[in-house]
Amino acid sequence: MRYYESLYIVNPNYEQDRLDEVMKTVVDKIGEYTFSIINHRVWGKKRLAYAIQKHKYGTFVLLHFETESAENLNSFERFMVLQNPILRNQTVVLDARPEVHIEEAPVVAEVAEADEKVEAPKVESEITEEVVAEPVVEESETSNESSEEEPVVEEAPVEEESPAVEETTTEEVEEVKEEAVEEAVEPKETEEVQE
Amino acid sequence: MAFQSRKKFCYFKENSITEVDYKDVKLLRRFITDQGKIMPRRVTGTSAKMHRKLVRAIKQARNIALMPYTNVSTEN
Repeated sequence: MRYYESLYIVNPNYEQDRLDEVMKTVVDKIGEYTFSIINHRVWGKKRLAYAIQKHKYGTFVLLHFETESAENLNSFERFMVLQNPILRNQTVVLDARPEVHIEEAPVVAEVAEADEKVEAPKVESEITEEVVAEPVVEESETSNESSEEEPVVEEAPVEEESPAVEETTTEEVEEVKEEAVEEAVEPKETEEVQE
Repeated sequence: MAFQSRKKFCYFKENSITEVDYKDVKLLRRFITDQGKIMPRRVTGTSAKMHRKLVRAIKQARNIALMPYTNVSTEN
């Protein structure tokens, strides 16, 4: 029994659903060749050291499998090359059986932990953002309520005062008219004096 | 005054590493130049046995785009 490790790069623009489809086609093909899968998982989206088909990033998928005979390996290699979504693939022979990947595996664990460390702060920051965002909403709501309440308070007095204001205005208007009449009369007198 | 060269040692022997994994880019980067060339044994002091494994790992990493063939082309 020989053990193989195949690392292939999938088009980075593929979302999770299409990525799963690509991985499923690979699994189906491996089933045809009677290889048995040990591990098959997404290693992560990484920056490529050089552009492949003008892609600067790539989604790396790691596949461990075992097989008795090496007859179909060339066919499998050919199949992988012909897949359009797969930018590059490489299969190497392993000396020993690879460990089944659980959360904490040798080389794999370091990468996974690194990803978790990167992701963990993001989640916290999102939470803090939410916490920060909520009070703002509450304040705006309270401000709206207060703004709604204030006019109601103001409206009542305005209605009460308005008749009084009208009375005062009418009185003032009458006074102003009288003064205007007096002024109108007075200038004539002054004019006569000047003559 | 004669210049006294530092004592060279095999990194893998010191750290008791027996296998080199092509996915361990952080380790492999110690043994390439800024240009991306593989550094010679006479510079790094790596033992012949481990240097052969190292060279294979670096070339595998280059093939799968984990490491650059050269750093000049990537800048353009």
